[in-house]
Amino acid sequence: MSANPETLVAIFVMALAAMVAKGGGFLAMRWLGRHRFIIAVLDHAPGAVLVSAAAVPLTQGGGAYIAGALAAAVATRTLGGFTPGLFAAVGVVALARWAGLP
Amino acid sequence: MSLSARVTWRSFQAGALRMIFPGLASLPFGIGFGVAAAQKGLSAFETTLMSFTVMAGTSQMVALDIWAQPLPLIALAVSVFVANLRYFVMGAALQPHLPHLPWWLQPPVWYVTVDQNWALNIAEYRRGQGDLGKFLGGGFVMACIWSGSTLLGHLAAGGVLSDPGTARRFGLDFVAIAVFVVVATIMFRGKRDLAPWAVAIAAALASKWLIGGNWYIVIGGVAGGLYGALRDTKMKRDVRQS
Repeated sequence: MSANPETLVAIFVMALAAMVAKGGGFLAMRWLGRHRFIIAVLDHAPGAVLVSAAAVPLTQGGGAYIAGALAAAVATRTLGGFTPGLFAAVGVVALARWAGLP
Repeated sequence: MSLSARVTWRSFQAGALRMIFPGLASLPFGIGFGVAAAQKGLSAFETTLMSFTVMAGTSQMVALDIWAQPLPLIALAVSVFVANLRYFVMGAALQPHLPHLPWWLQPPVWYVTVDQNWALNIAEYRRGQGDLGKFLGGGFVMACIWSGSTLLGHLAAGGVLSDPGTARRFGLDFVAIAVFVVVATIMFRGKRDLAPWAVAIAAALASKWLIGGNWYIVIGGVAGGLYGALRDTKMKRDVRQS
């Protein structure tokens, strides 16, 4: 187990920066959260973040990713819940790759 | 809806258990980061410590890119902050559900605000079923898996484990995206979400194409949120006027 003091300082600075980014939004909402428009933005922001995070890799990932996403949505809707959707998605991607889809 | 900030051991365990599989999504990336960190000259201890304390893979990878002697501390801080800006939006969305969170519990909550853990828990908070114990337990497991995978990558640098093809064959590279798709499906409220989500997707694709990097999550999230809020505000005003 070895550690360079300068590297430890850099790691501390990085951890602090990550916490400022993560906690900044939370703290800012203590004041901004009183505004009705901000509440309306945050009513839509979580879904918008999720679809944005999924959309870009899906367009870059090829047919297997698209098949996996469809399987995830269908399994979540029909079987209900998080776990069936997740397993269906990964299973379909593995099968699609096995079948030759990129 | 504000919810209790009570944490029980049982809910912590439940949250930890359900995040094991989604946490495995970080294995290939973690192993890759471990290999890259070894190549940059970081020790196994330094690599694991960085992963456990920073716990944000993309920003760690960006930091490695500018890692040089003497260490550029300001550049490291700025690049980590900017690469993690999406967590600013996520933290802001979380706060209204935990308005009375004691000050000493706030840093742990910020720490466990990572993509998949946030996604799963914000969906439950919005349904009024959120549980802080599950949120913290899930984040703890994700931190352990992420740090463990980077250590594994460091130790196995250059070996078979650093081959992303193995994870790809079993579809494990899709787990992280699958979490977003599944949670979005759970959160979908019908017609009222269609237009804001379409705006978010269009903005995300445009920013990926024009700017690159992972700005698309922040830009898509803000664009979809703003569009939805403007539309809802206008609709309420129209109803009041008619």
